[in-house]
Amino acid sequence: MKSAAYYTAKKITFNTFVYLFLISVALSCIFPLLWMLSSSLKTQETIFQDMSLIPRELHFENYMRAWTEGGFGRCFLNSIFYTTSVVFGIVIVSSLAAYAFSRFKFPGKNLIFYIFMGAMMIPIPGSFVALYVLLNKLHLRDTPVGYILCMINVGLSTSIFLLKTFFDKLPHELEDAARIDGCSKWGIWRHVALPLARPVLAVVIVFNTLNVWNEYFLALLIFDSPRLMPLQLGLMKLQGEFVTQYPLLMSGLTITALPIVLLYLLMQKYIVKGVTQGAVVG
Amino acid sequence: MVAMGTRGMIGESTKHTFSLKSFLIYLLMAFSSFFLPGCGSNSSEVNNTNVSKPTILVWHWMTDRQAPLAELAKRYEEKTGIKIKFELYAPSDAYSQKVRAAAQGNNLPDIFGILAEKRDFAAFIKAGHIADLTPNMNAENGKWKNYFFAKALAGNEFNEGNTYGVSAGIYGVPIDVTTIQMLYNKDLFRELGLDPQKPPATFDEFLAIGDKLKAKNMQGLVSGWGEMWMIDCLANNYAFNIMGKDKVLATLRGEVPYTDPDWVKVLSLFKKMQDSGVLANGLVTMINKTAEQLFANGKAVFAFNGSWCVNVYKGMNPNLNYGVMLPPRASDKYPMSIWGGAGTSFMVNDRSPRKEEAIKFLQWFTEKDQQVFFAEKTNNLPANKESIKNIPEILAQFSDDIEYATHPNTWGVSEFPPVIEALDKGIQSIIIGEKSPEQVSQDVQKIKERELAKKKAK
Repeated sequence: MKSAAYYTAKKITFNTFVYLFLISVALSCIFPLLWMLSSSLKTQETIFQDMSLIPRELHFENYMRAWTEGGFGRCFLNSIFYTTSVVFGIVIVSSLAAYAFSRFKFPGKNLIFYIFMGAMMIPIPGSFVALYVLLNKLHLRDTPVGYILCMINVGLSTSIFLLKTFFDKLPHELEDAARIDGCSKWGIWRHVALPLARPVLAVVIVFNTLNVWNEYFLALLIFDSPRLMPLQLGLMKLQGEFVTQYPLLMSGLTITALPIVLLYLLMQKYIVKGVTQGAVVG
Repeated sequence: MVAMGTRGMIGESTKHTFSLKSFLIYLLMAFSSFFLPGCGSNSSEVNNTNVSKPTILVWHWMTDRQAPLAELAKRYEEKTGIKIKFELYAPSDAYSQKVRAAAQGNNLPDIFGILAEKRDFAAFIKAGHIADLTPNMNAENGKWKNYFFAKALAGNEFNEGNTYGVSAGIYGVPIDVTTIQMLYNKDLFRELGLDPQKPPATFDEFLAIGDKLKAKNMQGLVSGWGEMWMIDCLANNYAFNIMGKDKVLATLRGEVPYTDPDWVKVLSLFKKMQDSGVLANGLVTMINKTAEQLFANGKAVFAFNGSWCVNVYKGMNPNLNYGVMLPPRASDKYPMSIWGGAGTSFMVNDRSPRKEEAIKFLQWFTEKDQQVFFAEKTNNLPANKESIKNIPEILAQFSDDIEYATHPNTWGVSEFPPVIEALDKGIQSIIIGEKSPEQVSQDVQKIKERELAKKKAK
């Protein structure tokens, strides 16, 4: 018979290892962010010479310079607008499509669904030139509408997949009850399916927000006018072909990362719920 | 039970109806405010249709040169009334995609650059996207052509009977030139007891420094050999030096095997460098940015880098005291060769209604004064040979050796990419002691034969 002290010691040892492991993982995640923050306050020279995380002198003016030299003002507003519009579009279209795929019976349902899933396998850069030519013919090149439509299309497959998986697990009794209460098909989608899918929607929102916020390649291809460019293009201006102004780049990265970090913190509760409820499957 | 539960849920969800509506209204308002001005013609098109004061649109990818380009555009507008609009699209790989896509949609600007191999350059010309500048270059007894270093023009030139099927002519305007050479830290040279005014001229002198480096526990040569193409560059430099251009090109054509003793000799140089200790630790996997950082911070005595490094080192360590030298020659039979030539070139859109104005701007842009200004601001070598007298000394050192410059784009024959890869990886294996020069030469030759057979079968 082992004593209580033995079990306590065993528990403490086990927990120590678990915590040490978790702390090391957390540090490895946080370190790049800390390094980015620290570098954003250094000068171009000290960034290569002073390896400490806490700079001797703090150069907050880097943020102002990054904001003006990267043209962040307009770009920031553009990015907020594109991200909001695209994510809104994806949520509406993918939730409707996923609900239809999950609940309705119509000819070619599986085929259409598999085509959507197949689209997830196509690397987006591979379709850029074709997309450019298509938008050009539709006179949507160099317009926000063209970019937003393309980005909605990019995010649809994964979102439909996530939402359909969730709707498949949703008890049919809930919808039957709503139907008894007089809900139409639209009403069921709006008042039953969507509110219940909030954790999955949070995952869809965060994933797609990240995707649109960090996108620059398609924007660069579609837009010619600098006034339409998103934030990431402003960031690219700070990264030189041979010479990169690292403090400015790091300041720009910090500015760019902030809204995403905030969004994640705000939606953290739902994301964890979404993932644990099986939103991310397969 | 279920119904009640659903009602409760419905009641809860109605709380969100208002917020959803507000969101929709907000979105609609944002859409209308954003799209109404955005859906019209873009600014560049508007500007470009202005007949009295045309605007020349230039696309480029050079983030670190936008400010001097904008300044030159301002000066040109003051002088001529013609507005030049430099539009920056970075990074370079995304820019390349944009140019290709724009070419397919016939949306290329008046002036643009192509970041690709010569065969892609040729494809653009054959598709009618690039104007032949030969008549302009040759006008007034070749006045414009004579501005440039011959090596700078070579990359933009297609000779008679070229393999790409392009009519002979000059299709691009170089705005700067580059050479890839060796650099040495003068302060560390003194520490090693070497004369900073006399960098090693021969390969044996270079190898002899290895012992001094070991004794002082210093790092020797750093370079971006993890990116491979720089290994290829140095290997080709020595191939030209040991066997001459003709034999190197004969190898590319498949007439001389890589198992030839001269090629084994070239590969052996890398083993000798490794054995003597002149190569820095970890060189095989080193990316150029790391190499630049090490050299700029005085952690390595030698570097193998392009002339763009002047600006890089200036940013990393303005007090770095260094000099430029040709790679030490391994043979006296043929001259040492380095890669170099046109750094950045601009092309004129052959379909542009402002083609003549665009050409005139490029003529002005490559005149001596503008080139000196551009070189001073960007620390790049000017393409105009007259400007060399007025540039910083370290840049002048780079340009001094441009007569030794060559580039695969000017050879008229190119090696198969798998062969280049095998050669570069083989050299890496030699450096880490995995393979001997003889083994690598045999491996490369096998791949060469395979590729030649494939080509023949086609």
